[in-house]
Amino acid sequence: MADNLTLGLSQLPDEMLTFTLLKASEGLTPRLGKLAFPGRSTIQTPHYIGNASRGVIPHLSQDLFRKHTNIDAIYVPLEDFVEKAPQHTPPVYELDLPDAESPLRRFIALKQDAFLIMGARRTPPIAAPAANTNGAISILTSVGFRHLASSDYVAAAQKLRPDIVVGLGDIVYKQQAKPSNKRVAKMADRTEAWTKDIVDGKSGLDKTTRDGPRYSIFASVLPISSELQSSYVDELADELRDQLSGLAIYDPSSLTDLPQALTPLPRLSFSEPSSPRQLLHELSLGTDLLTIPFINAATDAGIALDFIFPPANASSSTRRPLGVDMWSSTHATDLSPLSSGCGCYACKRHHRAYLQHLLAAKEMLGWTLLQVHNHAVMDQFFAGVRASIGKDKFEEDRVAFEAVYEAELPERTGQGPRQVCVIVNGVRGYQFKSEGPGEAKKNASAYRMLDERKELLAEASTPSSGTDAKDLENIGFAEVVERQ
Amino acid sequence: MAPIHMPSALSFELIAKCSVTKARAANLRLPHGEVPLPIFMPVATQASLKGLTPEQLEDTGCRLCLNNTYHLGLKPGQTTLDAIGGAHKLQSWPYNILTERSFQMVSLLKLSKVTEEGVRFLSPHDGSPMLLTPEHSISLQNSIGSDIIMQLDDVIATTSPDHARIEEAMKRSVRWLDRCIAAHKKPEIQNLFCIIQGGLDLELRRQCCAEMVARDTPGIAIGGLSGGEAKDAYCKVVDTCTGLLPEKKPRYVMGVGYPEDLVVSIALGADMFDCVWPTRTARFGNAITSSGTLNLRHSSYASDFSPVEEGCPCVCCRPPEQGGLGITRAYIYHVAAKETAGAHLLSMHNVHYLLTLMKSARTAIVEDRYPAFVKGFFAKLYPERSKYPEWAVTALKGVGVDLLVN
Repeated sequence: MADNLTLGLSQLPDEMLTFTLLKASEGLTPRLGKLAFPGRSTIQTPHYIGNASRGVIPHLSQDLFRKHTNIDAIYVPLEDFVEKAPQHTPPVYELDLPDAESPLRRFIALKQDAFLIMGARRTPPIAAPAANTNGAISILTSVGFRHLASSDYVAAAQKLRPDIVVGLGDIVYKQQAKPSNKRVAKMADRTEAWTKDIVDGKSGLDKTTRDGPRYSIFASVLPISSELQSSYVDELADELRDQLSGLAIYDPSSLTDLPQALTPLPRLSFSEPSSPRQLLHELSLGTDLLTIPFINAATDAGIALDFIFPPANASSSTRRPLGVDMWSSTHATDLSPLSSGCGCYACKRHHRAYLQHLLAAKEMLGWTLLQVHNHAVMDQFFAGVRASIGKDKFEEDRVAFEAVYEAELPERTGQGPRQVCVIVNGVRGYQFKSEGPGEAKKNASAYRMLDERKELLAEASTPSSGTDAKDLENIGFAEVVERQ
Repeated sequence: MAPIHMPSALSFELIAKCSVTKARAANLRLPHGEVPLPIFMPVATQASLKGLTPEQLEDTGCRLCLNNTYHLGLKPGQTTLDAIGGAHKLQSWPYNILTERSFQMVSLLKLSKVTEEGVRFLSPHDGSPMLLTPEHSISLQNSIGSDIIMQLDDVIATTSPDHARIEEAMKRSVRWLDRCIAAHKKPEIQNLFCIIQGGLDLELRRQCCAEMVARDTPGIAIGGLSGGEAKDAYCKVVDTCTGLLPEKKPRYVMGVGYPEDLVVSIALGADMFDCVWPTRTARFGNAITSSGTLNLRHSSYASDFSPVEEGCPCVCCRPPEQGGLGITRAYIYHVAAKETAGAHLLSMHNVHYLLTLMKSARTAIVEDRYPAFVKGFFAKLYPERSKYPEWAVTALKGVGVDLLVN
């Protein structure tokens, strides 16, 4: 095969993505590893991957990302960048840079030492009404649903030069109806063909540019039982094995019965765990890297995550909540940090009273600070998980965690940001699909316009309803005049 | 009323005067540090500058920002502010805060009515009648703890045709100033600024200046402008007022923020400015540059990989090789109105632009080349001299600068 010609090059040690298993045992057990690539920070696994929207972690401008987070890898979906392709060339494709540089990295101003992982779809994705075809998957860009051909995806990977490309998979997502038997039969065949496309594309890249770092491939393993995709998985373990740097999984149960040859590969999960408890379950099966949509969901809900792993000893009989609802007016004068002992920027410089004020006033900064904090909590969580696995105490600590903390994150009580950037039922603002004429507005109008000084008025919200003039008087704003 | 002496919590050091125009450079020392004049003050209405952290605001070079009295009075409210210990503590901002007076917002409310006692209005919540007095306003600002507080004044739109009402408002503002001075509990740590009123009537403005200067507040604001009046009339009012104000006090023109307005107003002798426009316009994808405002949501920028402004040293524009982010116009186009981070990036750029503009103006004044600076500024902003706004040409001619001559 043509692939063999490039095999030698791809194995040069200084160019390669390497994953070293530091601790792993037979079967489905938690494991420790490290992911390294020249020029990037080495990632100790298990760890989470930052989940980007249009190239940024929502609410975190790139300077804050660098200064106040420890995120060393982000997941960037191609569907955020190819609005009108293939009719119009996506702008980022036109960014010409000297050979080795990644136009995508430069475009989104991602720092040099962070891993850039590209996939096709956001996570969680919006289910598309049109089915995938043999040559293309359905995606959703900011201007609507369309198809992304496997060949176009390969071209994007070649052009945009991410560190890691997640191979296309014919995935039926959780949000969709269960696939029919007929569909299941096709899924593995299609995914196999697409994986071969991206593998071939990698060697094709070598003809145009020499020496530049090339993308590494994480092949998608389908969220169906291993018997149903056995020929595909065998192909991964055999013919394609040397071209693969990792696996992408969509359901932790697909790790069962994987061929031995695939065990050393890092496993990146898109399974959307809804809580730390589910996350721990997944880690117990040997997942190495994860995107965790609940971080962002908690932020948008105004919840400051508040848990550690392993948990401090259970002092009370009731389970502790996994987060603090910052909308609650009980924080109004509370000058303590979001969680005690947290060293993040939000906790070091600010306090609960400010967070509560920012949310109540619908100031964007509230969500920014929460995002900084919530990622810091996950940093600590994963550090604890790794230490625990290292000490062979993971199962024990996991049981303790489940005993100490509630099963799910607290319910949201407050409103999220205006829906230009909010998740509601997993739907991102611009991805709302109109359901026809006469729909109610997605955002309640924040202000009633009066005749003059509209600009000033629009600058900030007027008080919301629900309080009366007495309350205004009580807070010392003005006094109520007796009606005459 | 006899002149009274008012304690002051600031010191004003005039360091240079332009030999041609009325422009001045000064150092203003406030309770939370020194700021250079002339200065532009970004507006953090509700104790937050539209998505930027106080640290990011600090990084743009800002050391004095605005909060809105009215908004903080509603959220988080005076009781909470007292419990927390004021607005500096609320937002963890170690530098200076100026609180915009509250009336302007109240005047927006339906059926507000100004009486001698205060402003009567219907509660936005349940429609019950309420009263806001000068004493309330000062008490609230005392709780906020801002370094500069504003008197409650009676503002009438400058475009109002009702001359008698404008005169009444001016005179009432003077009387309210006395009540504010009497109600002010912390003059040793908070500086009360009076607000000159009088609409576009220069005679009323003169009377107001005389009355208010006699009250000897630590600083003086020129109010009631920037409400849609003709720019010519605006310039005449500023020019007239600065001519009557004491040299050794800061002069603050409220609500002004377009770059050309700032440059001209400085020439007319004003020192301090505020406006929500730079951050507000950033949220709509507009970038302020020395060659004008660019709407980066326009598709012509989709593949424009140049920085928002070439050579701009802000964190957003600076190339990665120099430690910046190297954000391009195309990327702003990509995120504008889709991710809040787009607004944050542009806000940083826009605020940085205006602060830098003020810094350059100051340097030009100190080096006594402000007229040349003004000419250079307009030459960059407008491709042709014929496009120069007439009001600016006229106003600058009045202070000895002919834009149309090299």
